Amino acid sequence: MAKGISRQAALKNYHANRDKTVTPEELDVPELLKKFHPDYDETSMVSLQVGPNKGDKCHKQLADLLQSDAMIDEADLAGAPVYETDVLVIGGGGAGCAAALVAAEKGARGILATKLRLGDSNTVMAEGGIQASIEKNDTPQMHFDDTIKAGHHCADKKLVEKLVMEAPDVIRWLIQHGMQFDENQFGDLVTRRAGGTSADRVVYYRDYTGLEMMRTLREGVLNRNVDVWEYNPVVELLTNESGHCAGAIVMSLNKKSYTIIKAQAVIMATGGIGRLHLNGFPTSNHIGATADGLILAYRLGAKLRDIDSFQYHPTGMAYPRHMAGSLITEGIRSAGARLLNGLGERFIDELKPRDCVTSAILKECAEGRGIDDGDGVKGVWLDTPTLERENPGFLEKRFPKVLLTGKMCKINPKEEPLLIYPTLHYQNGGAVIDEKGISTVPGLYCVGEVSGGMHGRNRIMGNALLEIICFGRIAGSEAAELIHGRGHKKVTIEHLSRLRRELTHAGLPMVSKSPALFPDYAKQGGGS
Amino acid sequence: MKEKEINVNINGKDIALPTPMSAIQAVWHAGYPMVHGVGCLEGVCGACKVLVRRAGGTEITTELGCQTMTEDGMQIIFLVFPTPNHHSYELSDLKNSWETQGHFHHVFPEAAHCRHCSGCTKSCPKDIDVEKGVDLAVEGKFREAGELFLECVMCGLCLTSCPERITPNHVGIFCRRVSAYFHIRPSNLINRLEEIRKGRFKIEY
Ligand SMILES: Cc1cc2nc3c(=O)[nH]c(=O)nc-3n(C[C@H](O)[C@H](O)[C@H](O)COP(=O)(O)OP(=O)(O)OC[C@H]3O[C@@H](n4cnc5c(N)ncnc54)[C@H](O)[C@@H]3O)c2cc1C
Ligand code: SF4
Ligand code: SF4
Ligand code: FES
Repeated sequence: MAKGISRQAALKNYHANRDKTVTPEELDVPELLKKFHPDYDETSMVSLQVGPNKGDKCHKQLADLLQSDAMIDEADLAGAPVYETDVLVIGGGGAGCAAALVAAEKGARGILATKLRLGDSNTVMAEGGIQASIEKNDTPQMHFDDTIKAGHHCADKKLVEKLVMEAPDVIRWLIQHGMQFDENQFGDLVTRRAGGTSADRVVYYRDYTGLEMMRTLREGVLNRNVDVWEYNPVVELLTNESGHCAGAIVMSLNKKSYTIIKAQAVIMATGGIGRLHLNGFPTSNHIGATADGLILAYRLGAKLRDIDSFQYHPTGMAYPRHMAGSLITEGIRSAGARLLNGLGERFIDELKPRDCVTSAILKECAEGRGIDDGDGVKGVWLDTPTLERENPGFLEKRFPKVLLTGKMCKINPKEEPLLIYPTLHYQNGGAVIDEKGISTVPGLYCVGEVSGGMHGRNRIMGNALLEIICFGRIAGSEAAELIHGRGHKKVTIEHLSRLRRELTHAGLPMVSKSPALFPDYAKQGGGS
Repeated sequence: MKEKEINVNINGKDIALPTPMSAIQAVWHAGYPMVHGVGCLEGVCGACKVLVRRAGGTEITTELGCQTMTEDGMQIIFLVFPTPNHHSYELSDLKNSWETQGHFHHVFPEAAHCRHCSGCTKSCPKDIDVEKGVDLAVEGKFREAGELFLECVMCGLCLTSCPERITPNHVGIFCRRVSAYFHIRPSNLINRLEEIRKGRFKIEY
């Protein structure tokens, strides 16, 4: 890779050129993605050798986990305490909380088991906002078209239809549960535009949309009849004799002991994969985002889709190093902040879809026009000072979190541009589900980031928060309906024998075990 | 140029660091596992509460471990404790906004007994004027009170420092939630919901 321009030289270029208004030249998008997007790096891909997606391309690090041995043996279950419930929700983020709330509102008994504390999740971190076509010059059809187009025409149209048609009601439901949104002086919700979309459609609460959503839902769940098990990650799923998902095994992080939870329906809502640091990228995700749900569902026979497709968010912090991967919201580009290379020049329309913008940044860096601060710190500028100069007080009012981030790294974004570099952000694919949120395994719902199909191969800002509430609600409601009149059956881990047979047959080593639960540097200590 | 080593003490262990980093990263860097008390690493989940004493100082502050940058001579202790809430309410129990005040005191009877010790405010890592928030709530100024909790990350530090068991953070979220619940309905959203209900939109593939 070509070396870039030093920070000092780049700052000089920045100040010399920042008032120029040059429109960047159009790039050949397919070519750009192919050459620079990490998903297209063939060297990091392998073919899956076992399971429902046998033969599909998959990122090597993820494939290793999907094709690992399980943590559990029959021996672990002897003497493990057994609990029974109607609906077991796995994961305490937005999707899990929405599902648990609705199931409880419908009268189902529920347990919500989560890895950390309730709400320690990717949801709480979301800043940009949530999509819903509510403006006069916007329609659900436009929302649909934008989503399909941004996803490179790979999305499941039925799911997208559900998503866009439910969106306004999702916002109503959130307000009804006590979530606030930013509004104008007449009390209308204000909207902003996401990259790669055709209308202002993102509603938000400051740059704390996820925090506001999460604390509202958490309070909702805690005040409902839901049994919340914190620090109890699920380490394996259970089936009944007919192969339906019928519960799970959790491991207490405090006691290091296993508990069996039998359930009539299981809702998997374990979120994404950022902490696997695919291709060595930094990540914006919370510490528990290690693909656990994806792996457990796969073992049980759930089909996955688009698992070779990830979103690298264009604007992760690149400097200082200890903040690497930390996200700067896309909202700031929607509001007009430009991206500039080390020469102080724009190189891409900042509001193009994320995969394009990311690839363009990687291209600048690869071709020597990036800023190189040595020691592996490289990136391009996010021009926050110009935004502030054109509209004094704007950052304070609309992007308090960005200023706070600046404070942490002793940079004032009002005066100095921020050095940014793409960060591993989102799992585009996931478990295949239908419009009811059910996976290809009966009794197993998958909702939120762990599921796939809504976004095709690229997601637009705001559709993830929409998806988690939309399908979380649906799954919660469906699961609660499902339970009536069914008793608990015998549960087994028979599927693990099958897994081990298949792994042996394929000559896979079975040396490591999954799910990972945490990245190694958190589990064992060591640099991050 | 080699930077000077930073020596800190975290949870009783002496740790030497080559460069400044957050308290959480420092623990990992030193080779100790830590997953309790870690969440978002971005200062928004409230998982990583720490007690901090800076070199030469006597004051002990409460902060978030992912946001606390290590400095030479710093002492840090991670606080991992549950923050149980003994209050319970359903927004749907509130039939109209005139009842909110009465309902609040029914749900949070201790709030009126605030002794203005400022324990909550001093402990808040987000510099929220928690005490004032509780006061405003007691007076029935729910919107104003809720506004104060804009940046609350529900770390629960205020809750643990309150001698009257008021759970100030839950008071704050109650205020925010009722404000949204009873707020004037946004007309752009209502209109769109109506249009959808009437079947005006059909999606074409
Ligand atoms: C920094 C950031 C900013 C974002 N901004 C936006 C935005 O502006 N708009 C938008 O639409 N989207 C945004 N996203 C994406 C969006 O926030 C997430 O995709 C979405 O919140 C995922 O919700 P979830 O409920 O599926 O998963 P999460 O919220 O991640 O919740 C998953 C939960 O499951 C738990 N868990 C994991 N493994 C296990 C296990 N084995 N057992 C039990 N529990 C487990 C986790 O600890 C966590 O509590 C953003 C994401 C990040 C990281
Ligand atoms: S108000 Fe309480 S819970 Fe909220 S951030 Fe401050 S101390 Fe933490
Ligand atoms: S800690 Fe409790 S009693 Fe003291 S000021 Fe805060 S709310 Fe009042
Ligand atoms: S880890 Fe979430 S606030 Fe520190």
